Amino acid sequence: MALTSAAPFLALLGEPDDSLKSFALKSLNDVVDELWAEIANSITEIEELYEDDSFTDRQLAALVASKVYYNLGDYDSSVKYSLCSGDKFNIDDKNEFVETIVSKCINRYIELSQQKFSNNEVVIDAQLSLIFEKMLEKCVYANELKLALGISLESYRIDIVEKIIKEHLDNEELAINLINYVLTCSTTVISHTQFRTSVLNSLVLILLSLNSPDYFIISKIIVQLNDYKLAHRIFTKLLKNDLVLITFQVAFDLVNSASQELLDKTIEILSKDESFKANEKNLSKLTKILSGVPTCDLDITFLYKNNNTDITILNKSKNALDGRNSIFHSAITFENAFMHAGTTDDSFFRSNLEWLGKATNWSKFSATAALGVIHKGNLSEGRTLLQPYLPGSNSGSAFTRGGSLYALGLIYAGHGREVIDYLRHHVVENSGGAGTNDSSENQELDVILHGACLGVGVAGMGLGSQEIYEELKTVLYADSAISGEAAALAMGLVMLRSGDETCINDMLTYSLETQHENIQRGLAIGIALLNYGREEQAEPIIEKMIGHQNSILRYGACYALALAYCGTGNNSAIQRLLHIAVSDSSDNVRRASVMALGFILLRDFTTVPTIVELLSESHNPHVRYGTAMALGISCAGRGLPAAVEVLEPLTKDPVDFVRQGALIAMSMILIQQNEKTFPKVDEIKKNLAAVISNKNQDALAKFGAALSQGIIDAGGRNVTIQLENLQTGTLNMTAIVGLTMFSQFWYWFPLTHFLALSFSPTSIIGIREDLKIPKFKINCHTKPDLYGYPPKVEEAKEKSPDKVATAVLSTTARAKARAKKAQKAKQEEKDNMDIDERTPEPQLQQSGGEVKTGESKEKTPEDLPNAVEEPKGEPSFQTNYTKKPYQIDNMTRVMPDQLKYISFIKGERYVPVRKFRGGSGIVVLKDEKPGEPDEFIKTVRQMFFNEAPVPEPFTLEDSETEEEQ
Amino acid sequence: MSEVISKPELNNVDLEPLLIEEINNDFNLIEKSATNFDPRYILRVFRELGPLRRKLTSEALYKAIDAKYPNDHPNKAYLLDNVRYENGSMEIDEGDRDKDNDVEMQGDQEILPELDIFTHLLVQIYLHDQNDLKKLNQLNKKVVIALKSYNRRTLDFIASKVWFYIARTNELLNKLVPIRSELLLALRTATLRHDNETRASTITLLLRNYLLTNDISQASNLVEKTEFPTTVSNSLVARYYYYLARITAIQLNYSDAHEFAISAIRKSPQSKFSTGFLQSATKLNIVVELLMGDIPELSTFRDPLLEQSLVPYLAVTKAVRLGDLNLFSSTLDKYSATLKKDDNYNLVLRLRQNVIKTGIRILSLSYSKISLRDICIKLHLDSELSAEYIVAKAIRDGVLDAEINHEEGFMQSKELLDVYSTKEPQEIYDARIKFCMSLHNDSVKAMRYPMNNNRINLKNDLESKEREQDLLNYLQDGSDFDFI
Repeated sequence: MALTSAAPFLALLGEPDDSLKSFALKSLNDVVDELWAEIANSITEIEELYEDDSFTDRQLAALVASKVYYNLGDYDSSVKYSLCSGDKFNIDDKNEFVETIVSKCINRYIELSQQKFSNNEVVIDAQLSLIFEKMLEKCVYANELKLALGISLESYRIDIVEKIIKEHLDNEELAINLINYVLTCSTTVISHTQFRTSVLNSLVLILLSLNSPDYFIISKIIVQLNDYKLAHRIFTKLLKNDLVLITFQVAFDLVNSASQELLDKTIEILSKDESFKANEKNLSKLTKILSGVPTCDLDITFLYKNNNTDITILNKSKNALDGRNSIFHSAITFENAFMHAGTTDDSFFRSNLEWLGKATNWSKFSATAALGVIHKGNLSEGRTLLQPYLPGSNSGSAFTRGGSLYALGLIYAGHGREVIDYLRHHVVENSGGAGTNDSSENQELDVILHGACLGVGVAGMGLGSQEIYEELKTVLYADSAISGEAAALAMGLVMLRSGDETCINDMLTYSLETQHENIQRGLAIGIALLNYGREEQAEPIIEKMIGHQNSILRYGACYALALAYCGTGNNSAIQRLLHIAVSDSSDNVRRASVMALGFILLRDFTTVPTIVELLSESHNPHVRYGTAMALGISCAGRGLPAAVEVLEPLTKDPVDFVRQGALIAMSMILIQQNEKTFPKVDEIKKNLAAVISNKNQDALAKFGAALSQGIIDAGGRNVTIQLENLQTGTLNMTAIVGLTMFSQFWYWFPLTHFLALSFSPTSIIGIREDLKIPKFKINCHTKPDLYGYPPKVEEAKEKSPDKVATAVLSTTARAKARAKKAQKAKQEEKDNMDIDERTPEPQLQQSGGEVKTGESKEKTPEDLPNAVEEPKGEPSFQTNYTKKPYQIDNMTRVMPDQLKYISFIKGERYVPVRKFRGGSGIVVLKDEKPGEPDEFIKTVRQMFFNEAPVPEPFTLEDSETEEEQ
Repeated sequence: MSEVISKPELNNVDLEPLLIEEINNDFNLIEKSATNFDPRYILRVFRELGPLRRKLTSEALYKAIDAKYPNDHPNKAYLLDNVRYENGSMEIDEGDRDKDNDVEMQGDQEILPELDIFTHLLVQIYLHDQNDLKKLNQLNKKVVIALKSYNRRTLDFIASKVWFYIARTNELLNKLVPIRSELLLALRTATLRHDNETRASTITLLLRNYLLTNDISQASNLVEKTEFPTTVSNSLVARYYYYLARITAIQLNYSDAHEFAISAIRKSPQSKFSTGFLQSATKLNIVVELLMGDIPELSTFRDPLLEQSLVPYLAVTKAVRLGDLNLFSSTLDKYSATLKKDDNYNLVLRLRQNVIKTGIRILSLSYSKISLRDICIKLHLDSELSAEYIVAKAIRDGVLDAEINHEEGFMQSKELLDVYSTKEPQEIYDARIKFCMSLHNDSVKAMRYPMNNNRINLKNDLESKEREQDLLNYLQDGSDFDFI
């Protein structure tokens, strides 16, 4: 029978005898859960008992007080007293009271501990630490290791993290697993940069102490820490142990994800190191790989070999858009550039010389620069190719020369060693001419300088070189709107993520001095670039800019926020941006702030559609445009149906530039998708073509549609936009910077080319120790047509002649049309045949051609309906997995979604040196049967050296001069 | 509070399939609610629960549960046991059942927690209506275990009802004290989980429990120490205010009690199911008003819903109004049984003082200055001293606006001031504006905007509109479901 009142016990509390009080407390402790409401009236007496030092059972008093407060819902006080109750508070009890208090304790501990990390004066109650540690012990004991690790990471207790991992070192697999977990947590969850660094450092130490360290994890850490000394240490160790293949794989991984600065410094320190004497050969190979040249060669070879551009689309757009109009000319230039990005296929220019001749002024600049995009990564030939247009070749206008310098930069983007000096030379040489706009010669110089600065910026991205910075500064201080803007941007690019305070101050001061808005904007973006990934360290400058009365600086502040917190999903950044998005007085700032959301939420891209959904219905078209771009940026290459859903209404927006943004964003999201992986893609592509050919569409929308056509089929369809490196979980800085600069095309079309930096090839490239590419097969466990190239738009070609004919309106054209009609009849026959067995055949040829025809025929009838009914969006693993794989060649397209179906064939001659876990890119192979002859794929570099003569420079100038005459 | 319990009507066999369908319909709505995280569907089910409850039969329940639950579900056996019916056709049913199961089994794999608890609730209600308290009590224990195993916010509404029936069972079994610890524990858990519905429900149940055992101080302790959640269904709030009114009235704090009683009446749902509550609350309010020295308006007693039950109170009011002690005593004698049943007898006894006070008040209205001696004579009091005491009390309670001149022994009424020269109108005006503003804000918050019309195609749109409209209709009359 339960008591109905605690009054008797409460009365006892007032007794002078301690034993009576103790008895009262004990009894109260038993009934407190039922009679707390009554006991609460006497809570002060109980507290007094606790505070009485002479009282023996003061801990019990604290416990009773804690329970009362708990029932009263005052958890802070409850925690306070439970901490005072010492042993009386038994954390092993299983009831709600204990659970609640313990979880509150842990929360509080984490909070305090985080404060303590940055401020040593914070004192943490010993009992609190004790409870925390006890709980962690319990966790570890229950084998909830990841939980324990996560909590200790969150409380910044690196010692516990180390302890837990070290305790499990004997089980190496588990240890590696745990280390991986800590690594992911620290890169994605921990926002405190300093602590993250210390965690990573200690992880490296642990990893190195292992018997067979996982060098691939270490390479991830090197990237995170950006620590060349560590890289040096690892490579030394690797080479000493004669693990050549692993060395190479690590080197390739680094090239793939590390900054140019890190690579350069690593090469430098490695080549200085004397201890490698014995291993000269491997060292030179290593430095060669680290220079990024082989990666670049391999990528461009892949793009060249597998080029699957559909030139029809481009031609159709070209015919629909009048080249005399510079916006349309630029549009086609960009479409062509993106479609052929990295494929070295510049045939479109060659076959459309007349059209090319229509380029004037800056569109000529863009057209020349487009060569850079097309040949991007063609390190061996790039310079030669551009030779005819470069300054000093005494031909062409300043725009061509400037454009070619920019193009040079683009070709060597991220591998600037070979050309940077050349470009710098131009910057220095011409810097005297800038700013004095009196003569036409000086104006020409300005244009060349513009190209040279952009070129230096791209080629020297992230070099952090003070010299280059100073040279650019000279150009900037000449205060010319044209070259100054480019110099400002280039300064940001060169000093990327350095956060150099003097630079920031310089730039900020000058942006306030200059009268040119262009320069101000360039500097604002430059400052943003400097603060890339610096999170809270960028706060002071962001604060300064965000409240500034100059809207261009606020615009820059949005980008600074975007880049500083890129991919972190930082809440305060999002809040500030959302606030700006709805409250700023300047449309540009509002647009930028919404776009910035896309950068910040890169990793949580699935949340973006819901966050920006309301903004997409804003009355302000700039905000709507921003929404579209935010979606495009965050979901780039992800094919997220929810994002497309939000974009769809925007493509029919009444405002022209909103349509433009929506179309571009849509293509960024759906890049590389085919109708199997995303059924709507066909319809969208048709819409793009329709927008371009529609007479009533605004120029801006047409421009957007042309760009979109380029993006959605970019790089011969072998590239995607991947902002997050899926293997290492790091952000792809180059790609993000590319997007940032690309988004500036709103003000300056030539910057559109920067998007090429964001394209990354999608393939698996297996190479041997001698860096040769053997021919072999890889298994792909899915239906072959699922990830095939989209079919070329042949039908479109047949339908279009009518239109072309009416547009040209000449008798010859009519004759042609008649001829074509006849052809059409024939084609239709063919068409019918095609339809019968349309899908798998063409793709099979592309994706290996090795599949037994019998097998494919067997599959066809069942597969087709299945594929059609496939739910839109990312196909789930179960539905598309087939037991029987088909085979693809080395160095062919493998889409990111496709990776999970890929496996290396067992018992083959070549085995990847690292266990294959669905990563794309370069895979170093172990040759199981060395010595046997094998066939190899030649790289572009080799081909150029051996067979292909340097292509004739095409006659951009000639046609132009003709026209002038 | 009076529970309006109606015995289940005798059912036609024809009605059974309809009934089963209705139950299944409820099941579906609950599943929908659970999957959409939208408790409005559950509210809708509860609204329909009243009519359903009157029709509920063991056959229908048995079949519905049998069809819904997979055979290996741990709760199935005892649930079925509780509603097992004796019937000649049992054998055939078994055969049917297997067949049904085969069909159903493919569709449903899992029983959602919401559904599970709702089924428990149905069985609880059934047993309660059958007055099978022993079984019900055993079932309750299992429900508590089941409830503890789930932690989902969509359960809140169902859980709060389940607790109601658990408390009710114990009340009927007269095990009021033992259930307290369970309820307190549930209250604690609900608080921790921010489960406002259950929190509110358990608080009211605890208060009722304390009041039934006359543990007024415990009840008031509980009220002081807990915070009643504001965002819960009106019926719970109404109940809470009713109990508060009771507690404060007993603790002599009449003006607060009056406010609470008024709130309770206002908050109480305006449907026929809640008449019982309305009656109790009005009775309490009348008594409190009388205790405050006010005379309730006659129209209160004329309400057709309440008229019958308020007869004793009308008589008491008359006595008080006349300030006639003799009439008061006789009325008390006459209606003592009813008043005791209403738990208001003790409060009404306190009115004796008020009869006198009313007398004083009438006097004060008639005479601006009157000697205590005259008061004594007019009110048949024993001495001047007691008259002075009574007058002083009346003044303190705000019944009179007067002063006592102790030396010369008279009571002087203060002259009526012009209220418009005081701050009072301003304050009242302010209070009213505040009320209007908060009403406006609440309505804005409660508004639901149509789903994004950009993206929904026409068909879906129409469907969802219909659904919304449906729900709106249900929600408009307030959530009356709780007073079944």
